[in-house]
Amino acid sequence: MPIHEKSLIRPENLITHEELVIDEVNVSGHWSTFIQPRVVTDYDERLQEEIAALPGGENIHRCWQCGSCTNSCTVNAINPDFNPRYWIYLIRLGMKEELVRDKEIIWQCVSCNKCTYACPRDVNPEGVMKATARWLELKGYTEKKPSAIFDEEFSAQVFAKGRIEEGRLLQRFFARTRQKLLQDWLVELARRLFSRLPLMLMMKLGWASLFHPRTRGWRKARAAIADYVAECEAMERQVLGLNGKGPSS
Amino acid sequence: MSSAPILVVGGGPAGLTAAHALASVGQPVVLVDKADRLGGAPILSGYAKLVPSGEWARDAIGGMVRRVEQNPLVNVHRNTTVAAFEGEPGRFRARLSNGQEIEPAAAILCTGFTHFDSVNKPEWGFGTYPDVVTTTQVEQMLSSGRGVHCPSDGREPERVAILLCVGSRDRQIGREWCSKICCTVSANIAMEIREALPRCQVYIYYMDIRTFGLYEDKYYWASQEEYRVKYIKARIAEVTSDGKRLIVKGEDTLVKRPITIPFDLVVHAIGMDPNVDNVLLAATFGVKLEPHGHIARAPTYSAMGGTSRPGVFVAGAATGPETIDDSIAQAQAAAMAALAFAQGGLARAAE
Repeated sequence: MPIHEKSLIRPENLITHEELVIDEVNVSGHWSTFIQPRVVTDYDERLQEEIAALPGGENIHRCWQCGSCTNSCTVNAINPDFNPRYWIYLIRLGMKEELVRDKEIIWQCVSCNKCTYACPRDVNPEGVMKATARWLELKGYTEKKPSAIFDEEFSAQVFAKGRIEEGRLLQRFFARTRQKLLQDWLVELARRLFSRLPLMLMMKLGWASLFHPRTRGWRKARAAIADYVAECEAMERQVLGLNGKGPSS
Repeated sequence: MSSAPILVVGGGPAGLTAAHALASVGQPVVLVDKADRLGGAPILSGYAKLVPSGEWARDAIGGMVRRVEQNPLVNVHRNTTVAAFEGEPGRFRARLSNGQEIEPAAAILCTGFTHFDSVNKPEWGFGTYPDVVTTTQVEQMLSSGRGVHCPSDGREPERVAILLCVGSRDRQIGREWCSKICCTVSANIAMEIREALPRCQVYIYYMDIRTFGLYEDKYYWASQEEYRVKYIKARIAEVTSDGKRLIVKGEDTLVKRPITIPFDLVVHAIGMDPNVDNVLLAATFGVKLEPHGHIARAPTYSAMGGTSRPGVFVAGAATGPETIDDSIAQAQAAAMAALAFAQGGLARAAE
C-alpha cells in the first residue's frame, strides 16, 4: 500500500527547473517540479546487532510493529515525530541513514516506561531508545547531552571519593554546560532551606563541601567498579568496531 | 468388544465426535459434561454461523448432540464432573460427582477451552463502556435474531471497530499463543454485519492477519473485496468515550500518525484460554499440562491423541486453540487410539 503522506516529501528531493522546455512545451518553474524517489538501496545488517549489544537493546528482535509503544508514548503525544515503533523498524532492517536523520529527536525519551508496560512482546522500547541514544553518541552522530555530562560528573565524584557532594556536583555540572550557577530554582531552594534547615545537618554539609572526605575503605571498591566499567565499555566499543577512546568521528 | 465403557469427558464438538465414533463401532461410552446440556462452547455461548460451513451452530452442533443422545450405547451424564480417576491401564476406576462409579477401559479428555475475559485488558474499555463487546456477544446478537446493536441504547451502529488479538499474543498478560480462529471469525462477523447493516462501516485493527489455509480468499479477501471491510495495521492504545460515542486511540503504523476515531460499537476478538478447570483436571486424571496450561499432548507422530498418561487420551481445544473442524478430526483420531488401547487391554487380560 502506498503511503500518502505529504510530510514524507523532503525538500531536498524536490527538483524544479527555472528554465525548461520539453517537446516545445514550456514547463519552467513549478510546472517542472518532480519528487525524487526515496529508494532504500541496501540494508546495514550490523545495525540491529549493534543496538542489541548495548544495554536496553537486547530484545529489539522481538518487535512485530504493532505500534503499542508509539501510541502509549508520552513524548509522541507532544511531538508526533518521536516514534519508537518506526525507529525500531529502521534498526531491525538496518536503514541507518533514515535513523540518523532523527538523531536530535531520539534522545528526548523521558523514560516514563509506558511503552514497557504496553508492549505485547516485551521488547522494552524504553531500553531500545536508551541504547539507540548511546549508539548515536558512541558513533559520533550526536554530541554529549547535558544528562550524559551530569552522569559523568556524578560518577567522577563517586570514583574519587565514594560519595557525591551535591553542591559541588551542581557547580561542576553548570560550569561544564555553561549555565549560570545561581539558577532561579536553586536560589529559591536555598531560601526555603535556610528558613527551616536543622543546624547539625547544615554543619555536616558545610564540612563536606570544604574538605571533600572520602568513604572509608573506598580504594578496593573503586578498583572493582572501574574494572567493570572498563570491561563494559570495551565490549560496547568492540561490538561497534571502534578503536581508542571517544566517538569514531 | 469389551463391555467396559470408554469415558469421554466433555460434550462439545470433540466429545460428541468421540462418543459417536466409539458407539458406531459398538463400544459403550460414558459421556460426562459439567453443563446442563450437551454441545459445548458453540451451544452454550450461542455461536451464530460456523466457519467454514456457514451452517448455524444450533443446526450443525445440535445434530451432533441428537445423534449422541439417541444412541443407546452412550450413557450421558449432564451436570456431572469426574471426581476421581484411579488405577492402572485395564483396571481404571472413575467416580463421578453424582456418586456413580464406573470402570472405564480408557478415557478421552475433550474438555475444551475458556473464552478470554476481556476485563483483563482494561485499557480497551470492556466492562467500562456497555458498547464495548466481545465476538461471542456479537455471535449471540446474530444467533438470537436480535441483530447487531449497541447494548447501551439498542441503536444500530453506523461504525464498528473489531480489535484483534484480545487475550492472544500478549506477553503482558501471559498469553503467548495465537488463538488461531479469531482473525477468520472476525472477518466472518464483519461480513455478517455488512450484510445485515449495509450502511454500517466495519474496521478491523490488526497486528497480523492469520486467515490460514482456505480461509484466505473465503474470509480475508471476500471481506475486503465483496464487503468493503477496512483493515488497519494498528494495535489500539485505549478505548474511551466522549460521552456520546466510543473513541478508539492508537497509531496507524502505515501512515505513522496517531489516530483518534469515533465508533458506535467496539468488538474484542477474544482468544481461547486454557480451560479454567485444567489444573483440577490434570490432578484428577494424572496428566501433565504444557507450559501455557493446556493439556500436554504425547508425540503426534507416534502417539496421536495421547497424553502423558497411558490410557488417557485428549482431543480438541483442550490441547490449545483449535478450530471446530480440527477438533472433530482429532476426536475421531483419539477415539481410534482409545479403542485400540481398550482392545489391547482386553487381549492382555485374555492371556
